Amino acid sequence: MNMVQWYFPETVDEAVALLGRERTIPHGGGTNLVKSGIASYSGVVDLARVPLNYLKTDRGILEIGANQTFASAAENLSNLYPGCILASALGSAASTPLRNRITMGGSASLFPLWSDLIGPMAVLEGEICTEGKNAGSFDLSTWLANRAVQKGTLITSLLFPDAFDWISAYYREVRVGFDYPAFTVSVLARKKGSRIERVRVALSGGADRVVRLTDLEEALNGADLSKVSSLDLRKMGTVRFGRKPAGSPEFLSEIAAVQVERCVKSALFREEETR
Amino acid sequence: MKGTFFINGRKEEWSFAPDAVLLDVLRENGRTEVHRGCGEGACGSCAVVLDGTLVNSCQVFAASAQEKEILTVAGLGSIHSPHPLQAAFVETGAVQCGFCTPAMILAAYCLLKKTPNPTDDEIRRALDGNSCRCTGYVKIIEAVRLAARRMSSHD
Amino acid sequence: MTDFSVVGKPVLKVDSLSLACGAARYTADFEVKDPFYLVFFYSPHAHAEILSIDDGPARGMEGVVDVFHSGNTPSDLYTTAGQGYPEPSPYDTALFNKSVRYVGDIVGAVLAESPAAAREAAGAVRVEYRQLEPLFDPEKSMDPGVPCLHGDGAFAPLPVPYRPEENVAGEVLFSFGDVEKGFAEADFVEEETYRTHYTNHCAMEPHAATATFDEKGRLVIYSSTQVPFHARRTVSRVTGIPAHMIRVVKPRIGGGFGSKQEIILEPYVALAAWKYKRSVKAELSRHEVFTTARTRHPMRVRIKTGVKKDGTITALEMNDIMNTGAYGAHALTVLSNAGSKVLPMFNKIPNVSFTGRAVYTTLPVGGAYRGYGATQGYFAFNQHVDSICRKLGLDFVDYVKKWHIREGETSEVFKAIGEGTEGVSQIIKSCKLSECLDRGAEEIGWSRLRGKRITSGSWVKGVGAAVSMQGSGIPKVDMGSASMKMNDDGSFNLYVGATDIGTGSDTILSQIAAETLKVPVEMILILSSDTDLTPFDTGAYASSTTYVSGQAVLRCAGKIRDQILSAAAVLMGASADSLSLGDGGVVVNRKSGEEAPFSKIACFAMYSHDQFQIQAGASYTGDESPAPFMAHFAEVDVDLETGKVRLVKFVSAGDCGRPINPVLAEGQIEGATMNGISYALTEQYLFDPRGKMTNSSFWDYKIFGTLDMPEMKTILAESDEPTGPYGAKSISEIGINGPAPAIANAIFDATGRRIYDLPLTPEKVLAAIKGVK
Ligand SMILES: Cc1cc2nc3c(=O)[nH]c(=O)nc-3n(C[C@H](O)[C@H](O)[C@H](O)COP(=O)(O)OP(=O)(O)OC[C@H]3O[C@@H](n4cnc5c(N)ncnc54)[C@H](O)[C@@H]3O)c2cc1C
Ligand code: FES
Ligand code: FES
Repeated sequence: MNMVQWYFPETVDEAVALLGRERTIPHGGGTNLVKSGIASYSGVVDLARVPLNYLKTDRGILEIGANQTFASAAENLSNLYPGCILASALGSAASTPLRNRITMGGSASLFPLWSDLIGPMAVLEGEICTEGKNAGSFDLSTWLANRAVQKGTLITSLLFPDAFDWISAYYREVRVGFDYPAFTVSVLARKKGSRIERVRVALSGGADRVVRLTDLEEALNGADLSKVSSLDLRKMGTVRFGRKPAGSPEFLSEIAAVQVERCVKSALFREEETR
Repeated sequence: MKGTFFINGRKEEWSFAPDAVLLDVLRENGRTEVHRGCGEGACGSCAVVLDGTLVNSCQVFAASAQEKEILTVAGLGSIHSPHPLQAAFVETGAVQCGFCTPAMILAAYCLLKKTPNPTDDEIRRALDGNSCRCTGYVKIIEAVRLAARRMSSHD
Repeated sequence: MTDFSVVGKPVLKVDSLSLACGAARYTADFEVKDPFYLVFFYSPHAHAEILSIDDGPARGMEGVVDVFHSGNTPSDLYTTAGQGYPEPSPYDTALFNKSVRYVGDIVGAVLAESPAAAREAAGAVRVEYRQLEPLFDPEKSMDPGVPCLHGDGAFAPLPVPYRPEENVAGEVLFSFGDVEKGFAEADFVEEETYRTHYTNHCAMEPHAATATFDEKGRLVIYSSTQVPFHARRTVSRVTGIPAHMIRVVKPRIGGGFGSKQEIILEPYVALAAWKYKRSVKAELSRHEVFTTARTRHPMRVRIKTGVKKDGTITALEMNDIMNTGAYGAHALTVLSNAGSKVLPMFNKIPNVSFTGRAVYTTLPVGGAYRGYGATQGYFAFNQHVDSICRKLGLDFVDYVKKWHIREGETSEVFKAIGEGTEGVSQIIKSCKLSECLDRGAEEIGWSRLRGKRITSGSWVKGVGAAVSMQGSGIPKVDMGSASMKMNDDGSFNLYVGATDIGTGSDTILSQIAAETLKVPVEMILILSSDTDLTPFDTGAYASSTTYVSGQAVLRCAGKIRDQILSAAAVLMGASADSLSLGDGGVVVNRKSGEEAPFSKIACFAMYSHDQFQIQAGASYTGDESPAPFMAHFAEVDVDLETGKVRLVKFVSAGDCGRPINPVLAEGQIEGATMNGISYALTEQYLFDPRGKMTNSSFWDYKIFGTLDMPEMKTILAESDEPTGPYGAKSISEIGINGPAPAIANAIFDATGRRIYDLPLTPEKVLAAIKGVK
């Protein structure tokens, strides 16, 4: 019989204090902890009662508490900002009963290969806000580069400094409706008339967990819409893949490039502007 | 460890291992209407309503469900007084082997609570985590439609 | 049309309310006192000899009771296939084999006081293996120099072709006419090779069995089985426990589709329970269901036809190699069906030859799976017919309508190929396939869409069709029985061995009894499948229940009716022939108009006169196996840039005779069709180079969910099968045969490319579009 101790703190400070103990980890939705197992830990800190289940906006800055579930975040966002890429990404992850459990914090801690959070995070240039041992805020690449910062650290929220007024497109490659994505494509765009002010494109699931397609972005930023047809978007959208159950590296690479092109075009040439 | 759960409106004190999942604890305590189809979050047979939302009980630690309200299909209605959803599933032929049915009904229940008159698309989305190998879903969708019609004309 | 009061009506499924309310119980739901738990451990190698098993450390662990393996259990060979006796499948497996032949082969089992203790100990058993050369390619199984997988005394209990020394687990050879002459007469010869893949039944309830004891010390096995009577026989044979000491109870079953026509867990729980005289529970995980339980046999189908310019087929040759995996469960019979259920479709071909071989490999074991070989055969047949039509510029629907078998016709194949034995010749007495084709074509918009390649961006539309037939039980093999007794309130207990596994057979059989006795269904109290309480039935397979068990119920209820009438004759002082049954449980004197309710007649017989209980039993074996027919139509959009296939609409039009219950019949078609669709598009076993399945969970083995449904339309083209109970034929299996070829044909319609291998994944479709071989 294992002797894991469960804790139910009610404040961030209490949670952080508990996480300072030996072999003690936070519990968000538990959907990954159930799989990875907790028997080897001595303590599990359930975040359910810590007031981290919120979504708020302040002058264009969006902040989502670590313990908000994908389902709530998607629902809140699609009520407030229907075009927000996070709403469509989080709202299509996994399945209804799983979205009701998967939290922002747990997902940001893991950023699994199949994450539906990571692409939007990359294009929205979101930050991971933490308390505890390594308190502060981290951008995505710093966070992914150094997983050690997570030890004894509590993710409190995800911050999106410039979340709105984008036209967005999100694509997830799945075999059936309820599937984890083999890759995702996230595109944000801002236009003024026929001028492309800013485009951001991210592809997740390739050999690199997530990449911003900077060549493509540079070619489009500031350009006129008419330039798009002269560009080889697929070539610029081609990245390397490993083998996955969904297909061979070559196949995934090829169709990901097609979807990059489609998402970019869909964002740039969509009629109605999304808020 | 020991904990309190509110199952179908009844307070229960159960002891369980700290790493036990809710599905196992429910089944060990006789709530066998909650089924195990995969144990990995992928089939939905084990779904229950936890504090008002649908969850896969195989993906929830029992410890984290303490002090919470848990609804299983047996709490929704009984043979002698079935819930309109249960009746609709029966009448439309949406039940074949019935293994997926309790969870399917709970998923539909959560949908109708929020969206009393769902579109077919909304029904499909609400049931996206519940697999059924017997029915091809056609009559399940029909059942939810029928129940929605009846329930909304009641209130 | 004949007027029925219960048959043909959408009577509510008798067990559905209890299922919907969570009151009904499945095998794993039964509480037994202080059970032990049985957990298995498996071979990590595709092919190896077990040199030694060190169970010492495991036995020393807390809570561990025993460790079973080849070193300490009976080694008699048997087959896990739940079939009639003697089985047409070879006896080639022991409880625990000394040589393991696939990754997932059962090596041993730990009995412990808790599942956790059993699991931990299972991981602690040390097995020393000598690895042997694996054999993964069924098309090489018969080559010289490849390892022989069953050199250790495996044998066939029936006199059927079985040559383990060549890795041949079953062989079906058959021909009539002269195919060479036929090919010579043809204007052109069309030859193609198709391959179908490994898939899993994915019944939502994993296999489970619980063994316990009744108060007299007899062993009671609750099992998620389709074949309780075969299970009792096999358990007794394998464990040596006398059959009269065993009772097998089938509770509610969470789907089977053939997977539970296999006796997998029962002997192990029986053995352990019997040894310790304690209850024992076993339950497979989803992973174990994938890796250790049964699968659909993959098949290579080579099909060659000689065709004249007018479309006449002068000769047809089919050559199948079926991969039965490590053991030969259902090998011969599934293989037979790939011929016997497919070739009669075009019965006018004068020269036909069929060569089928089921071969061993070191891969997962095939088994019964809805469609049972016909699914594999029809994938090839329908695409082949489509190919011929394309060559000739003929319309598929018109072509099939012209050539398919019809009422009053026969096929030599019926007689030639049976299931392990010779077949039984029969004349088709009901066939509405042409009507199915017409109505299906209309519903899908065939003439509007076929060949039009309507395009939207990179998406191109296509439509495709497929036809198939199945059987209704195995003639002169399958047997069903029913018994019935009348209660003093005029209700009836109906006991059937037929096994409702979610199919609704309890309801249909109740309807047949109710119709015969002219009472409402509520007055029939049905109990199915308990080897102590119900009469024998071969079980839920081969599409036999409605037709075979239904006839048994019909006959049994007929006997009850006669007894009611003769008791009523005494009671009413009239001659029996002046009496008949009225509606709602009364006997009517046709002359006087006088009525006597059933309750009065039952009481009269029971308490007053010449006292006896009105009761009867009947058995039935089909003399033939009337075929249900079905036409399937798919409308797909294919993305030429990604190979994605979006299934827009799917139509199934079937002739199952008179549907005893149209809603349940539709449900069978819809479920089978959806299963067939995901079989075609997404389901597959992925293996690593060492033969280990790499996607043994729903995480990576994808079955269709609500988000994937096309628009589905089901059409019942009713016919009246004169040999069936109230005109019924079977319906449960056939719906799975058409989706894969219909979708493949639709992909061809959209792209001009044919895909010969299942599943039809985007990667394959894209490669075909780009012309990559
Ligand atoms: C069947 C299935 C399908 C899925 N499909 C998808 C999909 O399509 N798309 C997708 O994006 N995801 C999907 N997921 C979810 C994903 O795999 C992870 O399970 C999920 O992101 C984990 O979130 P959680 O809140 O449940 O985390 P938990 O399991 O609670 O925790 C995961 C890790 O994060 C740590 N952690 C949790 N909260 C915090 C915090 N606040 N601060 C610091 N560390 C923390 C934990 O200690 C643990 O190490 C799926 C999961 C399952 C089971
Ligand atoms: S058993 Fe929980 S999702 Fe399958
Ligand atoms: S009714 Fe059998 S799984 Fe849904």
